[in-house]
Amino acid sequence: MFETSLCQILFYVLAALAVLCAAGVVGYRNPVNSAMCMAVCFAMVAAIFFGMGAQFLGIVQLIVYAGAILVLFLFVVMMLDIHNESKSRGSLVHAAICLLIAGFFAGIISWVSISLPGAKDNTCPAITLCESAGELLIGDAHQVKEAPAAAPQYGGCLPELNAAAAARMENPSISDADAAKATSIPDVKLLGKCLYTHYNIPFVILGFALLSGTVGAVALARKIRKD
Amino acid sequence: MIPLAHYLILSGILFSIGLAGVLIRKNIIVVFMCLEMMLTASNVALVAFSRAQGTAGVPVYDAQVLSLFITGIAAAEVAIGLALIVAMFRARRTVESSALNALKD
Repeated sequence: MFETSLCQILFYVLAALAVLCAAGVVGYRNPVNSAMCMAVCFAMVAAIFFGMGAQFLGIVQLIVYAGAILVLFLFVVMMLDIHNESKSRGSLVHAAICLLIAGFFAGIISWVSISLPGAKDNTCPAITLCESAGELLIGDAHQVKEAPAAAPQYGGCLPELNAAAAARMENPSISDADAAKATSIPDVKLLGKCLYTHYNIPFVILGFALLSGTVGAVALARKIRKD
Repeated sequence: MIPLAHYLILSGILFSIGLAGVLIRKNIIVVFMCLEMMLTASNVALVAFSRAQGTAGVPVYDAQVLSLFITGIAAAEVAIGLALIVAMFRARRTVESSALNALKD
């Protein structure tokens, strides 16, 4: 119980900090301040990933976004010697209109998320799955067995991570006693298994995209000789 | 535990702040940072969905793989975009988007 409430408090604190730093990215006039705010925002998002049990993505978020991309941004800001943004007339009205659009968008997303079934009464989708399977398809009884995946309570609590089920998924021939001994989800192992079996070819294509991106960046940024 | 709706709201708020930044700011580098923030917001939503749709307490790793791809493509995009910004600075000595008005007059 203590652990659960600690997780909740941490999530809300991290989320508030992430939103605050995101507002700082937009609010600061100096691009270096914006970049620093972005680093903190991405670190907070990485911590939220850790809280969700996605350790590998949290690490990737830290290394790629808060590490590599941020350094690239700072490098370009320092190299180009950019001054603070100039204030122009009518920018206040412009900013107000843009904020209105963004606020409208945030309002729509929040409203849709809050009105998801199960979002308000905090029901867990895994628990209500069996109970609700019967009322999904009333007419055809045999379809109920085929399509129980459409849980109507998907807006509710995330289901607890089940280490035993993950151990069984990783190694189908494991005995029940050994599966019950598992204490944590082998996140990286399962993600790697999925990445290198189902998504092997897209992964290779991603590598080519990164390579062509690097070559393109060098080609674009080099000095063009006039001769 | 935290409901999925709260993760989605966090993702939506981060996305909207990024959208506001893209619309408001004139410095192209900061606009680019806000674009990265929007991509991160979509990552948050994807990881939350991977947890919510998991069977028997095991997350659906397809969503996390997609999120990994988004991160990788974002890295390539940043490299290209910053090279374009450097090229633009060489040509015009500024990185403000309001300076790009050659077709206007």
